[in-house]
Amino acid sequence: MAETPCLDVRGVSKTFRDGGQTVTALENVSLAARPGEFITIIGPSGSGKSTLFNLITGLAEPDTGEIVFDCGPVRKRAGRVGYMPQRDLLLPWRTVLDNVILGPELDGRPRREARRRAREMMPLFGLAGFEDAFPDTLSGGMRQRAALLRTFLTDRDVLLLDEPFGALDALTRRELQRWLLDVWQRFQKTILFITHDVEEAVFLADRVLVFSARPGRIVKELHVTLPRPRQSISLLSTELREMEAELLDTLRAANGDPALPDAR
Amino acid sequence: MAVGERADRAASGAGTVSARSWAARLGQDVARIVVLSAVAGLMLAFFASGVYQLVAEARAVENLTFEDILPSPGEILDAWRAHETLLLDRHIPETLWETLAGLSMAVVLGVTIAALMDFSPLLRWVLYPVLVVSQTIPIFAIAILLILVFGFGSGPKITVVVLFCFFPIALNTFGGLQSADPELVSLLRAMGASSRQAWLKVRLPAAMPSFFGGLRIAATYSVVGAIFGEYITAQHGLGVFLKRSYSSFRLDQAYLAIILTAALSLLLVLLVNLVERLALRWYYTSRRSDWRGPGIY
Repeated sequence: MAETPCLDVRGVSKTFRDGGQTVTALENVSLAARPGEFITIIGPSGSGKSTLFNLITGLAEPDTGEIVFDCGPVRKRAGRVGYMPQRDLLLPWRTVLDNVILGPELDGRPRREARRRAREMMPLFGLAGFEDAFPDTLSGGMRQRAALLRTFLTDRDVLLLDEPFGALDALTRRELQRWLLDVWQRFQKTILFITHDVEEAVFLADRVLVFSARPGRIVKELHVTLPRPRQSISLLSTELREMEAELLDTLRAANGDPALPDAR
Repeated sequence: MAVGERADRAASGAGTVSARSWAARLGQDVARIVVLSAVAGLMLAFFASGVYQLVAEARAVENLTFEDILPSPGEILDAWRAHETLLLDRHIPETLWETLAGLSMAVVLGVTIAALMDFSPLLRWVLYPVLVVSQTIPIFAIAILLILVFGFGSGPKITVVVLFCFFPIALNTFGGLQSADPELVSLLRAMGASSRQAWLKVRLPAAMPSFFGGLRIAATYSVVGAIFGEYITAQHGLGVFLKRSYSSFRLDQAYLAIILTAALSLLLVLLVNLVERLALRWYYTSRRSDWRGPGIY
């Protein structure tokens, strides 16, 4: 790697006012991402995971704490990371090709060059032949891949993916997970990946962070020791299952349930 | 549950879908024909009774003949032949110029007002009531005033067209801008876009379908606006032709003017539709695929 990208979130807290009530979304959250690291984040709904992403992308400001890029403080965070929200959010009036070059276009780089590069990447992202299609004519999986390609083409070292496969069926999801690992290894990106799927979290990550229910705090950090590349690993391996069970227990505790409710 | 299952199966089995939708389409067409002929029949009966009434009254009062009141298509054609050069060289170009100039200016004015209201809550607060109140004043009264003050030229008529047309464009475009997906804007901001970039790349394109909806309404108003302006006072234009025809009691010419006005309006609306189809290809390739369109529109 030429550069040494890094993202350091230091003691960040964030509260919202919600109809007179003060809601603490995040409380003293710290995480440091090594260059090329794949971190997945799981936690109950409303535990501030997406809020963390909003803070990192500069859509919101933390109340306390700081967020540091490239080992130095940054005044303007917007545009520093590649961000992919839960919905694919493709612009419906643009063709797939013009959607995926949005990043370079916003940076003021020449469109022709960006289009040429995007065309080269199309086959890798399973979009060959759909360059001139409009998003509404594509399947959910293809839209998601187009959104991912758009995120990759921003050329940022750090990518934030917020439940990118949440809305997909199980089979497409499996396929895209393996394919994401391929792409990640090839391009050496640092990835923060929010998911609700514990199995997905373990399968993809170097490190899994578990958030508690509101106020969101990191209650567990799990280093995934499974060997890489993982594409061919059986999802039934004992190691993977054990880690999943451990994470599920933590999640249950984070939700406030001592154990599984007894069957009546 | 059963309904959901049926819907699922319908969505998965392509064969059943096409057969079913074919039957559904046939049903729709039959229903359409029945409704249309019923409406047409009613209108014809209404119209016929109206004509009968008119003829009866005219005979009683003015001693007019049927031909005076309702010229035959042949007579209207004769009127066209008699005035063809005058209409084509003078009146129609004048009306067309006023219409197109007024409509273009209404587009600029309408979109500008919509953009200003979209940019600033203060301007929205100030402009919105003004906009609405401007529509409660009878435009006809203002138009008459304008033309009486500023006189014969085409300028005042263009202003009348603008007055007729800017409101639907401004209101629809504003609605379109406001309905743009805020998450799309957030995404662009997160990607480092300036607010100008976010507006140009998200809000403006998102407003285009609504804008064209407003433009279509404005296009139908615009020719009428120009004719109305000319009718009050002018040297050239279909409105003057119409007025002169009425004052010399040449109803064949008046009908000709009415038909030409309708034709111009229709052509303009069709032009707007064509431009819309080309400009909003994304909008019509995807969501509107089922919608076969209401005939010529």
